[in-house]
Amino acid sequence: MNIEFTSKQKEFREEIRAWLSAHVPKKRLKSFDTEEGFEQHRDWERILAKDKWGNVNWPTQYGGRGLDLISWLIFEEEYYRSDAPLRVSQNGIFLLAPTIMEYGTEAQKARFLPPMASGEEIWAQAWSENGAGSDMAAIRTKAVRDGDHYIITGQKTWSSRAAFADWCFALVRTEEGSSRHKGLSKILIPLNSKGLLRRPIAQLDGDPGFAELFFDEVRVPVENLLGPEHGGWGVAMSTAGFERGLLLRSPARFQSAAARLVKLYKSREKYLSSGVGEKVIQAWIDTERFCAATYQLVSRVEKGASISSESSANKLFWSEMDKQMHRTAMTIMGAQAELEEGLDSIENGRWLDGYMFSLAGPIYAGTNEIQRNILAERVLGLPR
Amino acid sequence: MDFCFTTDQQDLIDAAKDFFDGENTLERMRSISKGQKVESLWPQFAELGLLGIMALESDGGMEQPLVLMAAIAEAAGYSGLPEPFVEVAGITVPISSSPEKLISGSSKLAVLSELRQYIDHNLVNGTKVKSIDPLRNLVKVEGIGSDKANYHGAVLSAAQLIGLSQRMIDISVDYAKDRHQFSKPIGSFQAIKHHLANVYTQIEFSRPIIQLAAINGGINVHIAKVTAIDTAMMAAETAIQVHGGMGYTYEVDLHLFMKRAWSLCGEWGDRNYHMKKIEQYVLQGDAKLGPGNTFN
Repeated sequence: MNIEFTSKQKEFREEIRAWLSAHVPKKRLKSFDTEEGFEQHRDWERILAKDKWGNVNWPTQYGGRGLDLISWLIFEEEYYRSDAPLRVSQNGIFLLAPTIMEYGTEAQKARFLPPMASGEEIWAQAWSENGAGSDMAAIRTKAVRDGDHYIITGQKTWSSRAAFADWCFALVRTEEGSSRHKGLSKILIPLNSKGLLRRPIAQLDGDPGFAELFFDEVRVPVENLLGPEHGGWGVAMSTAGFERGLLLRSPARFQSAAARLVKLYKSREKYLSSGVGEKVIQAWIDTERFCAATYQLVSRVEKGASISSESSANKLFWSEMDKQMHRTAMTIMGAQAELEEGLDSIENGRWLDGYMFSLAGPIYAGTNEIQRNILAERVLGLPR
Repeated sequence: MDFCFTTDQQDLIDAAKDFFDGENTLERMRSISKGQKVESLWPQFAELGLLGIMALESDGGMEQPLVLMAAIAEAAGYSGLPEPFVEVAGITVPISSSPEKLISGSSKLAVLSELRQYIDHNLVNGTKVKSIDPLRNLVKVEGIGSDKANYHGAVLSAAQLIGLSQRMIDISVDYAKDRHQFSKPIGSFQAIKHHLANVYTQIEFSRPIIQLAAINGGINVHIAKVTAIDTAMMAAETAIQVHGGMGYTYEVDLHLFMKRAWSLCGEWGDRNYHMKKIEQYVLQGDAKLGPGNTFN
């Protein structure tokens, strides 16, 4: 056990810190769930990619720097410290990319990873259906093989970023007559395909962060199958492991919010009742715990361990922490909590946006109830 | 940066855990709780070298860091070990200038501190007080400690609390698999599952910060103790709820672990003491907060 950063890692921190302070946009970008904001965020991805900062832990041939995951954590820390824009490419780079690296053919890696890294192709996730939310194995959207194409028919919903994204990674039923976890496949689909209709869905903040996707005999070449045909459940679970477990929500994001919360508290202290301070402290404590636990998890992964059911504990912890932290901010803001940007608003409504988004945390990537079931059954060994 | 134990360290921790669990059985603890005499494990601690884990090699010790001792303290907590082993090996020995007698097991000593009011009566003289924990025989003490003793005490009591939390969850899981109501094991009900999953999660997110506290000290020590207290109280309350009416009796073993947890929550700085330190650091001080400061 040695918790010193190497001199190389320290230099790396200095380097990314300097680059960010020179390049992070001074003015906050519009939400990436608006058409204008989406393109602003895509431009930011291009700037990141040009200097190879977008995905430091990826292999160099796909646009990364070939660094270890500790360096990725350092990158994240400096990224959130600098208050850089959120990553519009997150579904692709954090969820799909690790799956492509694990299951993709060489041709798929070469085709999909570089434009994902550069922001030229932004990805949406297309798993849930109206009848398949928590019960994801109830997926009905089907893909029928026709020569060297699949013909896809069905409907997906709550598809994050799909209103403006370029591609989606979908989980569909390829084996006729199959049920539940069997017979599913993961297929990569261009969102401008003929027969594919998208209907944006306004989220809690009023912006179309989701879309509903309608597939009416959409033709997709067979080479867009990711991983084994009919073996998509296992491939999807590998993505879910990354989603819940490590990459999507690094500690830095929450630590930066906790530091902002302390500032908010200090600016309003004289108006607050006595219990609020301890809630602020608890938020900060929990982000420190999350950070320590993440460094330990990454250390284990670097030594060859894989992330399995414990990713459910991770997801449970950060989503509940985030909700409590933002609720405390809402308490501190009092009557001003409801204000969006403009007169009297605090940080232009950023805490309100954050609070609304924190309410999604316990739902997306598998609801927290599903995570608790996974932990109870697969880790603790309680009966089904 | 490698925030994991080495294989050698992990082997040592596992061996200590096997020893505690193998020797300090539930039967043994039940006997002690009924006032029956049992054989002390102290000669074996000495023989296995466990008392010298933290002592210098020149003094005949293993010279292991506090973080390893914390993992062993967690194992001791898990087994519910009644002997003051963590106390002597993790606190007295490291601050003693001549620890030979302590390592050989021929003497046992406790360290006084302003952060503790009660100590095991085998270690010091004083007026007897009665703990609800049937495995603790206490005397009232007064004294001033050293920074090092207080630091070790807080980290190691936190580590023991996490071991106790894990044990309370494990025995609750066993009970929930075994106990049937409505013709099903109660552990198949989501209400039970979700309670236990929540505690499991809190435990998993307590261990690393305790390890960091053991390595780095500073504010992490206070976070570690507050976190361990909150986790242990939650584990205990969840465990009694899962055990239902049985949990409220001496018929099951839960109370032995729960009461030890209550004891350790107050020793080496209670929640108020450590929370106030954090309050000064976060709300009143000008410490650097936010990403990039945890490991620096």
